[in-house]
Amino acid sequence: MAILANPFDIQARPNRLLTQALSCLLFVVCIGLYMQTSASRHRENPEDRVVPNQHQLLAGIKSAVLEPAEEDDSIAPDNASTWERLHHSMIWKDTASSGRRFFIALFLLVPAVILALHIGLFPWFGAGFLRFVLFFDKIVALSLLPILFIVFGIEEWSKIALIVIGVAPTMILDVTQMVKSVPQEQIVKAFTLDANNFDVAYRVVFRQVMPQVINSLRLNLKPMMLFLFAGEMIAASDGLAYRIAIMRRHMGMDIILPYVLWVAFLLFLIDLSLRVINRRMHPWFQA
Amino acid sequence: MQAFKLRSLALACAFAICVAAVAPAAASAQTPSFTVGWSVYAGWNPYFYMQKSGILKKWADKYGIAIKVQRFDYAASLDAFVAKNIDACTMTNMEAFDLPAAAGVDSTAIIVGDYSNGNDAVLVRNGLNFATLPTKPVMLVQKTVSEYLLERGMVLNGQQANLSKLKLINTSDSDIVAAFLNNKSNQAVVTWKPLVSQIVADKSVTSIFDSSKIPGEILDLLVVRTEVLNRPDGQKFAKAITGAWYETVAQLAAGQANAIKYSAAASGDSIESYKEQLKTTALFVTPKSAADFTDGPDLQQKMDLVRKFCFAHGLLGEGTKSADDVAILYPNGTIQGRKDRVRLRYNSAYMLAAEQGKL
Repeated sequence: MAILANPFDIQARPNRLLTQALSCLLFVVCIGLYMQTSASRHRENPEDRVVPNQHQLLAGIKSAVLEPAEEDDSIAPDNASTWERLHHSMIWKDTASSGRRFFIALFLLVPAVILALHIGLFPWFGAGFLRFVLFFDKIVALSLLPILFIVFGIEEWSKIALIVIGVAPTMILDVTQMVKSVPQEQIVKAFTLDANNFDVAYRVVFRQVMPQVINSLRLNLKPMMLFLFAGEMIAASDGLAYRIAIMRRHMGMDIILPYVLWVAFLLFLIDLSLRVINRRMHPWFQA
Repeated sequence: MQAFKLRSLALACAFAICVAAVAPAAASAQTPSFTVGWSVYAGWNPYFYMQKSGILKKWADKYGIAIKVQRFDYAASLDAFVAKNIDACTMTNMEAFDLPAAAGVDSTAIIVGDYSNGNDAVLVRNGLNFATLPTKPVMLVQKTVSEYLLERGMVLNGQQANLSKLKLINTSDSDIVAAFLNNKSNQAVVTWKPLVSQIVADKSVTSIFDSSKIPGEILDLLVVRTEVLNRPDGQKFAKAITGAWYETVAQLAAGQANAIKYSAAASGDSIESYKEQLKTTALFVTPKSAADFTDGPDLQQKMDLVRKFCFAHGLLGEGTKSADDVAILYPNGTIQGRKDRVRLRYNSAYMLAAEQGKL
């Protein structure tokens, strides 16, 4: 048996070691290519900033994690502990302000999901909302920005509104579909068992679609982050994307790359926690 | 047999991946072809006309090379220049210093085209002045000449001590007009023309400071990578583009209809709007005026202000410990900064050659 068995064999079972190695392969290739590019650019220009090498990256990470942002007033005293410096650092401040916007927007999606439940289940709501949401979903939210500026000002709310307007219609349509795919027989059965309308809506249908709703939310995390970034790049005085926009002005890739990885890591964490919650709450659900 | 086939398949795949990775580095054969990047701005729009009118081709043919002129977004043009994807690029003196030069790309300014003489402005509502400004949020594109202008305005109006109290909101230039005008609670904005003209059309907005009060500090240059300039064909390129530039500018200054029409069209402006922008752009029409300015003593003082600003705002990167680490060489041999770290050079030789008709 050769090590390279047929990769197109559906029933193949690569052993544990091989599975691990294969899943690492592309990461190693990417890192290798990056380091090679960086090294060759640095041979040509030792001060290259476009593809920073590991020393520049380390210095960048250090200053992002330990140094306060340039525009910050609350500078930690010189003898501050590492924790205190971390607490006053650039990345902490940016993560906090971006995180606040992100979670407020996430919270505002809850009413959207409830609305979707009603649209899918109650014909009156369906008649009133469905066509409008269907239309609104096709609007490119970014193009509405000047209007958002008028309505919400240039502070926090315009960015949060951008996220919600961008993501909510898609979520609503998605959840409406889920609600509609709950078998009619179940609803009839629930009525015969003396359930009222709200029992059916919240205790039969909503509970059933909940795991799918969470999965839909997981898929929408990235669009949410995308809209948040777009908003912060257009007008902001703090936030993760603000910092990236500022750093881009003088090609501070040594800060940008750690920021990009940090955002990816945060998104991964949110996604993971939603997945775990989903599995704990709905062990019966087979995704 | 089957295992063997698969193994060779895998080998072929691996080989293909390697080739794909190495190929871009191996390519790029030497051809005397050069690319100039430019972006929309009153003082750079003539590059568009230069190409349209055939002036550029005439000069390129004279030196037996090919020159391509390509329009970029400003930030993208700088990225392309630093990444060495283009040979020359239009940029301000500030960006020439804090981007390519600070990133270790040795750069030479061969044409000093103009300086902003009112194109950039600090605009306010409700009669704010520099003393009351620090309490209000100011919208601007941070870390650009806008922030430089704002700081210079504060300093020249005796508000240096309040600089740290300014509250800045980084706002993209594509949205700054809508964002400022649509909300009366926004009190102050710093931006450039033609955006300034759109904003002051609102009667409640007044200008309290503009770049005509700091003449010669915001320069618009054509910058070439020094390594390109050091090649024989690179010198031909510099001569050709300089020759083409002064022929273009002469037509523009003479008010030639097509020159103005195409330069205005380059940024989608109306002819009136473009003429208005030209009024606040101090073009060095003759090569003599440009060379005199470049060789004169003022330039060094002005660059000193700019480089100190860049360093104070961390625009030179985390690793740069002093503004002297990015040194500037002037035509008379003076070096501003450490002698072993010259990164930005002002070279008036090509402008002088144009003046003497030696191109």
